[in-house]
Amino acid sequence: MPDKTGAGGALAFTPVIGIEIHIQLKTKSKVFCSCSADYTNDEPNSHICPVCMGLPGSMPVLNKTVVQQGMLAGMALNCTVQPTTYFFRKSYYYPDLPKGYQITQSDLPIAANGWLDIKDDAGNPKRIRINRLHLEEDVGKLHHSAADGRLEGAESSWVDYNRSGLPLAEIVSEPDVSSAYEAVEYVTMLRRRVRYVGASDVDLEKGMMRFDANVSVKCSDGRWGRRVEVKNMNSFRALERAIEYEIKRQSKILADGGEVLQETRHWNDVKGTTTASRVKEFYRKFIVEPDLPPLVVLPQWVEEVRATLPEMPNEKALRYVREMGLSEIDAAVLTDSIDVARYFEACVAAGANPLRAGNWVRTEVLRAVNDRQIGVKDLAVKPDALAELIRRIDDGRLSTTGAKNVFEVMLEGSSLSLDEAVRKSGAVEGGVGADALENLVRATFAANPDVIEEIRSGKDTKGKKIKFLQGLVMRETKGQARPDEVVAAIETLLKSE
Amino acid sequence: MQLYELGVREIAEGIREKKFSALEVFDECLHRTLACEGKMSALITTTADAGRAHARRVDEQIAKGGALGLLAGVPVILKDNICTHGIRTTAGSRILGRWAPPYSATVWELLSSAGAVLLGKSNMDEFAMGNTCGTSAFGPTANPWDVSRVPGGSSGGSAASVAAGYVPFALGSDTGGSIRQPASYCGIYGLKPTYGLVSRYGLIAYGSSLDQIGPFARSVEDMDLLMHVLARHDPKDSTSVDKSEIDFTRREKSRQPEKPLKGKRVALVKEFRDFTLDPPIADAMKRLIRIFEETGADIVEVSLPTVARYAVACYYAIAASEAHTNLARFDGVRYGYTVTTASDLKDMFEEVRSKGFGAEVKSRIIAGTCLTEPVRSEEYYVAATRVRTLIAEEFRKAFENVDCILQPVTPSLPAKIGEADEDAMKGYESDLYTLPVNMAGLPGFSFCTGYSQSGLPVGLQLVGPRWSDKNLLDMGFELEKILGTPKIAQRGN
Amino acid sequence: MGREVWLMKLGNDDVRAIAAEARLSLTDGELAGAVRYINNFLDMVDRFKELDLKNVEPFCFAETNECPLREDLPAVFARSDEILADRADSTGSFFRVPRIMEE
Repeated sequence: MPDKTGAGGALAFTPVIGIEIHIQLKTKSKVFCSCSADYTNDEPNSHICPVCMGLPGSMPVLNKTVVQQGMLAGMALNCTVQPTTYFFRKSYYYPDLPKGYQITQSDLPIAANGWLDIKDDAGNPKRIRINRLHLEEDVGKLHHSAADGRLEGAESSWVDYNRSGLPLAEIVSEPDVSSAYEAVEYVTMLRRRVRYVGASDVDLEKGMMRFDANVSVKCSDGRWGRRVEVKNMNSFRALERAIEYEIKRQSKILADGGEVLQETRHWNDVKGTTTASRVKEFYRKFIVEPDLPPLVVLPQWVEEVRATLPEMPNEKALRYVREMGLSEIDAAVLTDSIDVARYFEACVAAGANPLRAGNWVRTEVLRAVNDRQIGVKDLAVKPDALAELIRRIDDGRLSTTGAKNVFEVMLEGSSLSLDEAVRKSGAVEGGVGADALENLVRATFAANPDVIEEIRSGKDTKGKKIKFLQGLVMRETKGQARPDEVVAAIETLLKSE
Repeated sequence: MQLYELGVREIAEGIREKKFSALEVFDECLHRTLACEGKMSALITTTADAGRAHARRVDEQIAKGGALGLLAGVPVILKDNICTHGIRTTAGSRILGRWAPPYSATVWELLSSAGAVLLGKSNMDEFAMGNTCGTSAFGPTANPWDVSRVPGGSSGGSAASVAAGYVPFALGSDTGGSIRQPASYCGIYGLKPTYGLVSRYGLIAYGSSLDQIGPFARSVEDMDLLMHVLARHDPKDSTSVDKSEIDFTRREKSRQPEKPLKGKRVALVKEFRDFTLDPPIADAMKRLIRIFEETGADIVEVSLPTVARYAVACYYAIAASEAHTNLARFDGVRYGYTVTTASDLKDMFEEVRSKGFGAEVKSRIIAGTCLTEPVRSEEYYVAATRVRTLIAEEFRKAFENVDCILQPVTPSLPAKIGEADEDAMKGYESDLYTLPVNMAGLPGFSFCTGYSQSGLPVGLQLVGPRWSDKNLLDMGFELEKILGTPKIAQRGN
Repeated sequence: MGREVWLMKLGNDDVRAIAAEARLSLTDGELAGAVRYINNFLDMVDRFKELDLKNVEPFCFAETNECPLREDLPAVFARSDEILADRADSTGSFFRVPRIMEE
């Protein structure tokens, strides 16, 4: 008998979650017509033609790059590319769907049987299997506010077909996900890998990645809730919250002895709840798309595409740890985006010490990129310049602080040579000379006899006082001295006196 | 001889040689059209002004001595499901009653760049669903041989207008016989090309895997010329096939002029023997068999049991399944008939579609929706696609040993207007001779054999393997010498 | 009457529901015609059940040619204004539909 008292603890609930992800593949034109795929900031309905408007008599012609990007994305997810695939017409009526059907590969997809290895809530490795990645076309966009922006009382909705016919890949996982945490792990890794291969920009703010989740819950007493499809999540956070909400909702129903209905629910991001779709789930039927013959992908093409695959983030990170001695955390940060990883690798290739280069990229470079809202590729400081800067720190010509000032100067003017930037920043190359440093340390000792006494009597077990002295000396040199050299000078003098 | 009685080649040559001007031809054809339209109603739209302007441009070009297209100055009528930029294209439906496409079908691009001049858009069964022209939202068209009878369909307006001498040629589309049957009823030539030979881009789709555009004309030589212009690979139609090696303008001279068809293997379908034919059609079959034998062809038999029993059901299942998706786009949001009063989306769609579509179209949409519903799809739609494989395979085997099949186009001569079959399915059965051709993507050539005692034309057809279009026309050319060239019907005026 | 009704696969309500799926509303007269039509239609296609289709591939295309692929070159459709001109309500550059309540 189910525990209807809800006396806590007695029942356990295991979520079973499958995730469907739509990503917009990166192309110049739409999937079945030549309208531009880039419509950001353009007038509504300015990228339309007979094909993507579904005008009578128009016919689709498949964009080669869409197939290629689909293959790349599939390979990034460890899928197998299928040699022969088909397109179908998926029928339902909605005003954003110009032909009354969506052209989709559905379950005869370009890529299938993949997986991603993630970490579960406890940090243990877990494999999420991917059923398939199939190609399809996007629909138009509906706007529900009045033309003047009024939301309430508007009598009309408005359709913009610029998005209609953009190429999508739908990625369907097996129901291997067991928590909201795992879901976010999975989509984060998926997004990173898809972006790595260049198949999509996966810009969430531009709606290039959207999520649906199939959530059901199994009760420890053997009862199963039906599968609920939760739609309308456009961010990682929304996906996480929606799944958490749904698990709680369904668990409570089962705990109360109720039945979970099979239905489609919509996530409301503002209210933080899911609500049953008022309209019955769209009526969806399939026939073969007679206007498109089977898509045949020859092995040679698959191999050509495979040859363009970059080293993937996990493998890269492992290599950084193994070959360069980076920490796992640093390696993960550096490999999150392929552009950053490439920048870092170019720095190292130009002769920079990997550890210091990793530090610089992870901190200064990423900060500069974020502050400026630009891609690392567009950064004024190129990897070889940064490598040279790092080399000068290493051989003592620049202090870290001085180098940071030089970096700031270089960020502003890409045309400056490193030497010009050094001059402009006012940094003193070569740091502080050994003699000058010794004199400064002596002067500092003389000014702080009590501190010296404490150190000598062995009370400075944690080295705090030495740090204090170091700080004073650094300040005197206006940061030009190398901190390690300052400490060395202090220790030498302490011993000698 | 009047100008409107001339064929495609004669007009093109005459204009080129300045025997007459393009405008004179156009005006004579227009005059003929207007004289007949009162009784016939073959056209939905007449493009008199645009056509005259176009004809004048051709004449100016000739005066300047510029290069001329193959069809320069030849008037043409297009079935009204072929998109013509800026010119109303209705598909015979109220739902597109005022729609002027912003683009042109590839076939119209090809014809107009060859110099053809548009005279009008012809009446048709709504969305090509019908075989009488009777389902058109614009009313019926009459047969120019007997205006109380149907011209056939769905390309009835195109066939009737060529037969009555409006124009020397017209285009139609054939999904299950819609070129061949009206050609037969109207006593002219009609070719349903091999699927993929002529671009479908800009043809308002009915059953996309079955639809094919083809020409009507009054001589086989003209058919050659038209196929030469039309059979072009089109990158905008992904099912279009490049067959540029087929040269429709070259005709092999028969080595034995007295026995031009010597050695051709012409098949009769064993299973069709048991079906009854109207006597004039049965007589025509006998006569043609005799002609083939006399000209040296071998008459053989092929067996098509699956075709005979399952083709009709298979055809309607697939056509309806594809049609309901092709017609799903008509919701009043983007183009065509719409209503502005509906307060809710479903109401709007229902009102637009219920008022915009006629009864036959609605029935077929419902059938297609029904057959492809997830619960029935495997049993009906998918099963039909499997049966279709058997049908195509049966034809493929049959054509291993024969050059073509000789068969009727219809079992009977054209019916009186308004005498539709009570049971729609019975009407469908009469399509048995035409629609298997579309199931297998084959070419079918409908030709006039002569006239019944009542003065109605009697047609038959030759069906060949895929890409044998040229062979069928070559045989048709020999038959034309024996049977005579189709006459212009005079009862429409 | 009884016998005929028994043999019918789909009744009035079924057909009305299918019509609604296809966004069609039928008058009573149309409904009667559609019910007769669809039941005859199903009788006709029931013939398929005589055949063993287990090992028969579905037929998709007349020629087993491959899907042609287009180069990814954007091009502007020069007459999009003509597409927009077909709108019943031409305020702004959107297409208008009756208000859809957000889900």
